[in-house]
Amino acid sequence: MNGWILAATVVLAGGGAAVLWGVTSGPMSRRVVAQNLATSVACPALLLLAQGYDRPAYVDLALLMALLGPIGTLVFARLLAVDLAGDRPRAGRESPACRANDGNFASGPAAWGPTWAAAALGAGVVVAVCVATGPGRAMVKLLVTGALLIGGNVIASRALSGGFEGVRGG
Amino acid sequence: MTGRTAPRTTTRTVLLALGELLAWWTALALLWLVFITSVDTLERIVGASAAAAGALLARAGRRAVNWR
Repeated sequence: MNGWILAATVVLAGGGAAVLWGVTSGPMSRRVVAQNLATSVACPALLLLAQGYDRPAYVDLALLMALLGPIGTLVFARLLAVDLAGDRPRAGRESPACRANDGNFASGPAAWGPTWAAAALGAGVVVAVCVATGPGRAMVKLLVTGALLIGGNVIASRALSGGFEGVRGG
Repeated sequence: MTGRTAPRTTTRTVLLALGELLAWWTALALLWLVFITSVDTLERIVGASAAAAGALLARAGRRAVNWR
């Protein structure tokens, strides 16, 4: 057990508890956000484990998870669009202009606090693992993984909060 | 975009298509080179081939989205 594995354990335990709590309680909009959190917690944990066990193959798993997790959430956002809109009393039926007035499109039910917390966790883990890896192709791979992780989760959260209602067939 | 009249396969459209394919191919091939563990000849050949197929698919997907 080294520091990386310990950190991965903490991330998995804390994140897993938050995910379990989220998916088993509250309205549907909250549960969908919580299931999205599962991949955004597991991906940094896999990066930490890859470093802790010195197995670069785990980075591939993290990369796939960072790519496929938000895609799955987008499918949920599309399939549950009607239910999610019903869960959205404040922002759902108002015009996009009202949402724009909020400045940071934070009016939907998709909690932006957890979203940015997960993004910060991912960024911190990627930076730490990059520092440990050193410059090279492996570091570029880590940076791509981190970009996919953070960008994907922000897009998924925005979709869940109704941010893409204007997209035709989106 | 240009499908309003009879499709004119001018030199410009061909060059634009080739340029887009080349851009996709470059990006995808670079990604491949970054993601693999060891770089050798076989990996380069497989990566270039996969990037070529991916470039065709990416352009088809981009056009499908833009034509909606």
